[in-house]
Amino acid sequence: MQIRRSVSMTLAAFVMAALPAAAHHGWGGQAQDEIQLNGTVEEVVSLAGPHATMKVRAQGQVWEITLAPPARTSAAGLNEKAIPVGAQVTIHGHRNSDPKRFEVKTERVTFNGKTFAVYPNR
Amino acid sequence: MQDLLAWLESSMLGHAMRTSGVWTYGVVNLGHILGVSTLFGAVLVLDLRLLGLWRTVPLPSIAGPTVPVATTGFVIAALTGPALLATNATEYSDNPFLLIKFAALAVALANVAVVSSRPAWKTMGRREPTSADRQTLAIGGAISLAAWLTAVGAGRMIGYW
Repeated sequence: MQIRRSVSMTLAAFVMAALPAAAHHGWGGQAQDEIQLNGTVEEVVSLAGPHATMKVRAQGQVWEITLAPPARTSAAGLNEKAIPVGAQVTIHGHRNSDPKRFEVKTERVTFNGKTFAVYPNR
Repeated sequence: MQDLLAWLESSMLGHAMRTSGVWTYGVVNLGHILGVSTLFGAVLVLDLRLLGLWRTVPLPSIAGPTVPVATTGFVIAALTGPALLATNATEYSDNPFLLIKFAALAVALANVAVVSSRPAWKTMGRREPTSADRQTLAIGGAISLAAWLTAVGAGRMIGYW
């Protein structure tokens, strides 16, 4: 009984230790206010890895544009061929809460009058 | 470090991970998690036994199933992990958790080699363990648990840096 209790306590501790981490991976590391960023595409959409990405030059900086996971980004119509390098785009999303990092976790990308909503419900 | 990561990213493995469909990373990631959880679950049970829990269960009865299960989990994790890393390897060059993870992995694997070469482990089931044997195994179990916990914890944190 004693042992069973100590094992279940240990397991409960592991689960609780994992909770803040799970909360962080969503939007928690981003600023609350939604921003709009106008710029030109520096690197086209990549559907590789845990999240799709692209790079945009704006305000004299190259911004890391973090999109949704690859399948969701692709389903929103956004893929390698959707927007060429040098194109004018508008990014809607939340900037990284670290002011030294030029990264936007993105909800929508607008190009040539077309909006790619990778997180349409946000 | 940077050169190694750049080489890994430009390898055929990295290329395949980036170009073989939108679900590839997710599925390989699933394989890695299954491998790690299989490994860690088995290691946890064995290490707690080495530390003195469940003394009424003979050690061979616990080592018997947990060692091959842990080994299988490790092999799955070791096959899938480099593929995940290769996808965007250079992005992890300043990630401290990656270094912590691999250092902890080195300690954990060295500990496996040390413990399994000790008479206390080798004579398991063939003679009654002495209190010195129990102590040796308990130390090995403690190092193992600390090292694998660090490796798994740091591994999970790589994505949050």
